[in-house]
Amino acid sequence: MSDTADTATETTDDVEPTDAGREADTMPSPDPAVDPTTAALATDGLRRTFGEVTAVDRVSLGVERGELRAIIGPNGAGKTTLFNTIMGTLPPTDGRVFLDGQDVTERDEHERPHLGLARSFQSNELFEEQTVLENVRVVVQTSRRGAFSFDLFRDHRSVGRERALELLDTVGLDAPPSTLAKNLSHGDQRRLGIAMALATEPEVLLLDEPTSGMSPGATTATANLIEEIRDELGLTVVLIEHDMDVVLSISDRISVLNRGSLIATGPPEEIQANDAVQDAYLGGMREEL
Amino acid sequence: MSGETATGGGSTETLDRARSLLGRYRVPVGLVLVVVLLRPVISNPLLLGYEAVAATILIWMVFVAAFNLLFGYAGLLSFGHAMFLGFGMYAAAIGVSGRAGAPQLPFPVAAAIGIAVAATVGYLLGRLTVEKGEIYFAFLTLAVAQAVEFTANRNPLNLTGGSNGVTQNVLPGFVESTRGQLVVVFGGLEVDWYWFVSAVFLVSMLALWQIVRSPFGRSLVAIRENGDLARAMGIDTTRYKVQAFTISAAFSALAGSVLMVDRYGASQETLSVITSGDTVLMAVLGGVRYFFGPIAGVFVWQFAEEFLNEFEVLHLGFTSVDLSGVLTHWQFFLGALFVVLVVVAPLEGIWGYLRDWVRDLYVRLKGVAE
Repeated sequence: MSDTADTATETTDDVEPTDAGREADTMPSPDPAVDPTTAALATDGLRRTFGEVTAVDRVSLGVERGELRAIIGPNGAGKTTLFNTIMGTLPPTDGRVFLDGQDVTERDEHERPHLGLARSFQSNELFEEQTVLENVRVVVQTSRRGAFSFDLFRDHRSVGRERALELLDTVGLDAPPSTLAKNLSHGDQRRLGIAMALATEPEVLLLDEPTSGMSPGATTATANLIEEIRDELGLTVVLIEHDMDVVLSISDRISVLNRGSLIATGPPEEIQANDAVQDAYLGGMREEL
Repeated sequence: MSGETATGGGSTETLDRARSLLGRYRVPVGLVLVVVLLRPVISNPLLLGYEAVAATILIWMVFVAAFNLLFGYAGLLSFGHAMFLGFGMYAAAIGVSGRAGAPQLPFPVAAAIGIAVAATVGYLLGRLTVEKGEIYFAFLTLAVAQAVEFTANRNPLNLTGGSNGVTQNVLPGFVESTRGQLVVVFGGLEVDWYWFVSAVFLVSMLALWQIVRSPFGRSLVAIRENGDLARAMGIDTTRYKVQAFTISAAFSALAGSVLMVDRYGASQETLSVITSGDTVLMAVLGGVRYFFGPIAGVFVWQFAEEFLNEFEVLHLGFTSVDLSGVLTHWQFFLGALFVVLVVVAPLEGIWGYLRDWVRDLYVRLKGVAE
């Protein structure tokens, strides 16, 4: 195991200086923390186009271990596409993705959760006709057995049940575990999505609008949960979020995406004061902030 | 007093334990019930009045259950499953008969070859097709099955017998045919063909049940429910689908090899697209979301075929109606039932309705009792 990690780091070392040099020449890096070898999650010049449209434009992002990073930007800024490209759901047109110093750009989507990278979805993606428990249990099973396993002789209920119940408790999902996922309330479905992402035992967790459609009370609870995930489970969290109260209260740093490009990264106070951000995104909200 | 309470508690406990055991093993118990009840039920004079089709029905149940592992559980609709049944049937027939210079083989060896061929074809075809999307998967399986039927029809090396199929010297050494009845002879022991088929049925169905309830099977269900999510959660959807296809093909061929003996040979009709289509219809009719769905579907389908074909005169006490002319078109009535089912609830099928109906009845009876 340590062998592969070493090799990967070496490969990274070979490639990284030239790439970083090119980036530095063409544009000032909006994310000063980019150092693919030390960051928990990093992207280097990540680009994704759909025909003529560039949805993600040379994004270089570096998220420190244990950081809680928010990504904000107007609708259509390319936030979800950035997540999809990082997760391998969409192959990038150009650029690299690094996880813990290791280049994972060529890895298949289903391999990434096993490398420590997990996500929750913006829309409630669930195994809808299955119980709440089974939704999480099957992910725990996958995390323990690997991406594929000929585990034919056991009863599935003997694999991962306790861990799944534990995770449902962690995210504060009170509905009975035997409830069908499709019958959960919207907020509980979002919590279930987070429990499933946690079931992959990730080191880096990408959350796509975890509070969307939630009541103010539920939003606060979710914000607390996210802080707890970072503080108590020690995960690195990258968060797409529209609720500025949540963003400003829990993020360590905020990255702003506009028309696919990263225009600024910094602590909340700095971002609030940034003129480019004000123009691109916050606009009329300046007074409010 | 206290002694009485203790005894009372004990018996409740025993009852509870019995109930939980029954709950856990209700599928094996149900399968044994199918085997035990099928023959007496259909040979009842009010129903068919003869038992010859009972063994055939059991074999079809295995085949459609194998198909449904792929369709109902992994979510892949194969429109060419007849070819896998055919591989088992033809390999067994050719091997046992040793026709056209092929080496004469014991039945288990010939059947194993058929299963191996089916599994290999399933695996390779799976590698090519499972990620192509539903419609493409259905069409590609259909196309390959058509190619297989065409090849069998061309009678390569005189092995497959063309449109006549393989019907000469096809009975394995341990099976004897006396007065049209098949009898299995083990040493000095004679066993009804039905009980031999029952053994194959029980072993195959228990194996399929174990696959469905295993962690492997649950991964298939997750893939069926939401393939994108499954992949994002770290499930290698492609490999699971390919292996499900392989397993399904292997069990289909096993059913085919036994069907060969039951039908006294391999026939080209078995390979036709109609067989593949019937397979889909039987599974949907029974309910693809349930393990017992294919069992219910095959029973209703095969029974309806026999019963409605034989049915001639309806006696109503005061008068009799001759229905033979109408009921030979049994497929029309089954088709009508099918349309109703698909419109009302495509995934529930007969078994789903039966379950709901029994549950409602139970709840209502409980309400009355209280």
